[in-house]
Amino acid sequence: MKTFILITYLLCVAVTFAHAENVRVTVKENTIRGDCRFYAPVKLRVRAGDMLTVIGKSGDWYRVSFKGVSGCIHRGAVESRTYAVTGSGGRQGGASRDEVSLAGKGFNPEVEKSYRSSNPTLDFSAVDSLEKITVDEGQLRNFIDKGGLNLP
Amino acid sequence: MKCLLLTAALLLLLTGCKLSEITPDQVGMISRSLENIGSAARPMSDQEEYYVGRAVSARLLSSYRQLKDPALTSYINLVGQSVALQSERPVTFGGYHFAILDSPELNAFAAPGGMIFVTRGMLATIKSEDELAAVLAHEVGHVVKRHGIAAIQSSRWSEALTVIGSDAAKTFGGSDVAKLAKLFDGSIDDVFKTLVVNGYGRSQEEEADGAALGLLVRAGYDPAALEGYLQRLAAAGKSSSGGMLSTHPGTDERIQHVREKMPTASVNKSFQQARTSRFLSAMR
Repeated sequence: MKTFILITYLLCVAVTFAHAENVRVTVKENTIRGDCRFYAPVKLRVRAGDMLTVIGKSGDWYRVSFKGVSGCIHRGAVESRTYAVTGSGGRQGGASRDEVSLAGKGFNPEVEKSYRSSNPTLDFSAVDSLEKITVDEGQLRNFIDKGGLNLP
Repeated sequence: MKCLLLTAALLLLLTGCKLSEITPDQVGMISRSLENIGSAARPMSDQEEYYVGRAVSARLLSSYRQLKDPALTSYINLVGQSVALQSERPVTFGGYHFAILDSPELNAFAAPGGMIFVTRGMLATIKSEDELAAVLAHEVGHVVKRHGIAAIQSSRWSEALTVIGSDAAKTFGGSDVAKLAKLFDGSIDDVFKTLVVNGYGRSQEEEADGAALGLLVRAGYDPAALEGYLQRLAAAGKSSSGGMLSTHPGTDERIQHVREKMPTASVNKSFQQARTSRFLSAMR
């Protein structure tokens, strides 16, 4: 009888988990756009770790909502992994401590810091500067138009 | 997670364990162990690839000086982004960034995650924006196919995953960081040696060329520019020492492969001329 109850409980948990899908932003930063295409107006900026509620899908784009804003985000910017929104474990739309712990491990800022201290001659400030090179969307769109190129 | 729990329950039933004797803590431990088994087989995440790419870039920038030319760098980034956004991987953890190395060598490098370098020597052999797009698209192809990460010895990554997935390590202790930093160091060596010393294998070069052809067509560039540039590269290589041609010995084979895979594309000559004009203007 106890076995039956436990299996039933596990199945109930599975059904509860299945009905809501969230995705986590897995890039440093990205944007939720008004339409499901690059260059569509930006509605909200999101950062790594933000959990977005999935409303639907459109090609390579997720329709999501976050902080009361709905729009689209490219699938490359989010982790397609399901998390529980509700459940007996109190997992309110976030990853569990173990999930966060595992995700935070690996090659991360802490490991880079240790690597840098053992390789003091490497110029990470030059790398930081390179990362600051960004292309303005309006400028890129104009460049594409004037060159007779195709918008993505 | 739900699948793991159900699988655990079913496994226990099949093996005759009495579920009634299992405590909630034990269920949690089983699910965590199963998660860790799953993580042991996982590929490197985008974030981890990004940190490898940063360190590889730092190594490159210790071997080569960066050319500080904001206008030319901006132009190269516009061309690079025009092709990168058309790729299967338009978004990476840290984004795509393109930079110029102040070296007479004929070379280009794609660090994992999207930091792409092209030498001044290579730029000097490029004659049009379409050829520049072809060179950058080839490098983007290496990023999309994760060729840099593939250079890391699999045993090194397996060992890293053992540290990462250790259930005993609830918090990321100092010894874990030290172990991972050592494995990270070795991984950077693996990637750097492949990029700078040994070069990619022929199949990876061909894969990147194939990706480049597709990107050029999707972006609106002339895919024939890749073949044209490789031919010039082969010719230039006969009088060059070091650089890409010492690590990419199969240029003739690449030309043959690109010719065989060449897609049909209609090219508006007037726009192509406009692109060449702005390329020449940017290169002045």
